[in-house]
Amino acid sequence: MSGVSLQKVNKIYGSGADSVHAVQDLDLEVSDGEFVALLGPSGCGKTSTLRMIVGLESITSGQILFGDRDISHLDPQDRNVAMAFETYALYPNFTVADNLSFPLEVLGLPAELQRKKTDEIAELLRITDILQAYPPELSGGQQQRVSLGRALIREPSVFILDEVMSHLDAHLKFSMLFDLKRLHRELRRTMIYVTHDQVEALALADRVAVMSNARMQQVGDRNTLYNRPANVFVADFIGEPPTNFFRAEVAYHDHDTIISVMDSDLTLQPGTAAATSLRESQRKEVIAGIRPQNLGFAETAHFLTADVEISEYLGERSMLTVVNGTTRFQAIAPPDLRVNPGTSVRLYYEPLNVMLFDPETETLIA
Amino acid sequence: MAPMRRESDTDHPEWFQKKRKSRPLIVARWVPIALVGLPVATLLAIVIYPTVWMFYHSLRDTNIQGLFMGTHSHIGFSNYADVLGSERFQDSLLHLAQYLTFGACLQVIIGTVLALTLYEFVKSNAIRTVVLIMLVIPMMLPPSIVGVLWRFLLTPSNGAVNQALLNLGLIEQHIEWFNAGISLWSIIIADSWNWVALPLLIVYSGRVSLPPAVYEAARVDGASQWKVMRRITLPMLKEVIAIAFILRFTDAFKFVDLVYIMTSGGPAQSSELPTYIAFQRGIREFAVGEAAAYAIIIFIISAVIITLFLKYMKGVMRARGFA
Ligand SMILES: Nc1ncnc2c1ncn2[C@@H]1O[C@H](COP(=O)(O)OP(=O)(O)OP(=O)(O)O)[C@@H](O)[C@H]1O
Ligand SMILES: [Mg+2]
Repeated sequence: MSGVSLQKVNKIYGSGADSVHAVQDLDLEVSDGEFVALLGPSGCGKTSTLRMIVGLESITSGQILFGDRDISHLDPQDRNVAMAFETYALYPNFTVADNLSFPLEVLGLPAELQRKKTDEIAELLRITDILQAYPPELSGGQQQRVSLGRALIREPSVFILDEVMSHLDAHLKFSMLFDLKRLHRELRRTMIYVTHDQVEALALADRVAVMSNARMQQVGDRNTLYNRPANVFVADFIGEPPTNFFRAEVAYHDHDTIISVMDSDLTLQPGTAAATSLRESQRKEVIAGIRPQNLGFAETAHFLTADVEISEYLGERSMLTVVNGTTRFQAIAPPDLRVNPGTSVRLYYEPLNVMLFDPETETLIA
Repeated sequence: MAPMRRESDTDHPEWFQKKRKSRPLIVARWVPIALVGLPVATLLAIVIYPTVWMFYHSLRDTNIQGLFMGTHSHIGFSNYADVLGSERFQDSLLHLAQYLTFGACLQVIIGTVLALTLYEFVKSNAIRTVVLIMLVIPMMLPPSIVGVLWRFLLTPSNGAVNQALLNLGLIEQHIEWFNAGISLWSIIIADSWNWVALPLLIVYSGRVSLPPAVYEAARVDGASQWKVMRRITLPMLKEVIAIAFILRFTDAFKFVDLVYIMTSGGPAQSSELPTYIAFQRGIREFAVGEAAAYAIIIFIISAVIITLFLKYMKGVMRARGFA
């Protein structure tokens, strides 16, 4: 058992003009027994990162430690990791049962014990009925579960799971997420779980690491990512529907700091802490962000006025798209709300929920 | 958007309609007959007719004179009885067994080992290509060259092979490569040199096309290289290796050229294979009826062996859910 620590890890595929810098100066600390989800858009370097941790891909520069052991250049066989592959990588000439028990066979466990563990894991993943089938006969979701099972059957120091639920229907995914969480609680092993589904990531993980463009953007728990995103990317990526962003100018009055959104007559009131730090830096421009969930009809002291453009009924909620000047943004409304397009509405917010970003670096100011 | 509509005949432009009217789609009556008839006729002429002809003469006492004069008579299965009862044929079956085991089979085994060694231990693509090309060159030589080349190499008194073995101290006396009991081994050596690259190429290309992800999974699962070879690579290459076997086996039953060039079946018929006897009796001694009986018997033996192989392969495929 051990934690995982990545220090300034880089991965460059190929060389010369058509080289790809897939992972750039990546730092990540996963403590022993922790469940960390690696979240990011397609192509941002998640799989590359995992493959370096497992040892299938060489590290261009940097270091990877398991506990305090430097394993950067060890073979996968010597790292004691288990991995479930994005592409399943099942052994096509083995039955499902043999696929599951192969890691145990390698360890030299007695056949009886192998069978017992195989049955347990098959039960957990609901694949008992296909144990005698061969991988080419299985559906994508079934293959995915076999692949997950083959990773979970061992008890390595680190589990690496790459998009192991992307092919499951919502219902099955939900119950398997629950089981995986429970399994993690029982085993207390370090797990790194890659996904591009933020619901999955936030539901499962102790902490979520958000990657984009080969770089680590932020690592934190749900509240940190949601309320104090490190930059515009994280604010945009975490949360559904995405955050509303406004380019805005800042005006400093005697004891008031007012943020006026460009191309509209909207003004926003920043929270007190944000206002103080703005005042100190005296900056003139910011990117302001506010989540659609934080704009509503419950009256507070502060509101934005805008005309309704579209009102979509989405079952458990309605989504309003409103416009002021040429600035469009969105708000979540109760499902029974009926407003006609063109109606002017007041959308209330708390100053605390206004996020401010530097327009140049796009990082959080306050 | 307008609903999708299937185009009907009336939507075709005018020129098309005209064209269709002037050229009916239904072709002349003789066209399909000719299209099917020509290949059937060809098949009849080059496969069916000779086979039937051969079977017919295997039941008759045809010799060269009888063949041209039309004077041959029905003698039932006595050609078959003669062949099966002759010591020459029985010996040749033993020779065939020796050739199949130490020629064909061993070639496939050595080819497989070489192919997998090349793939696992040589990582540079350039070196792999060079090695493959060098190994394939013997396969491109005509049998006459191969036969003559190996006769030279194996010449007892001053042939290169004996010299090399002497110099290495592996033997103290010349090996008499063309004596009875050894001459068939000489043929097997030359044939293996000639053909080992065929199974090698087949197995190598099979190995190249195996999915690399499976091997990554095995590495992460901690399997040793030997374990991976035994449990994953070889089972996945089973069909490919079976195909290499079939190719070398079918060739074994047609194998005449090197026997003829290197030893002419000798000395004292000690390196004769059944096909060589058929060739000798039919083409050189004009015992057409007897040669035909040989050919039919060889055909039956090879058909049985190949059928057993195909059955085995089908079983393998079904067990894996591919067929
Ligand atoms: N073997 C390789 N050779 C060259 N480039 C590669 C290789 N593997 C990945 N890349 C590139 O590296 C980048 C990161 O790929 P990676 O597979 O790590 O993304 P990912 O975050 O896992 O994406 P996804 O969510 O789609 O699986 C991509 O631009 C990809 O094209
Ligand atoms: Mg990936």
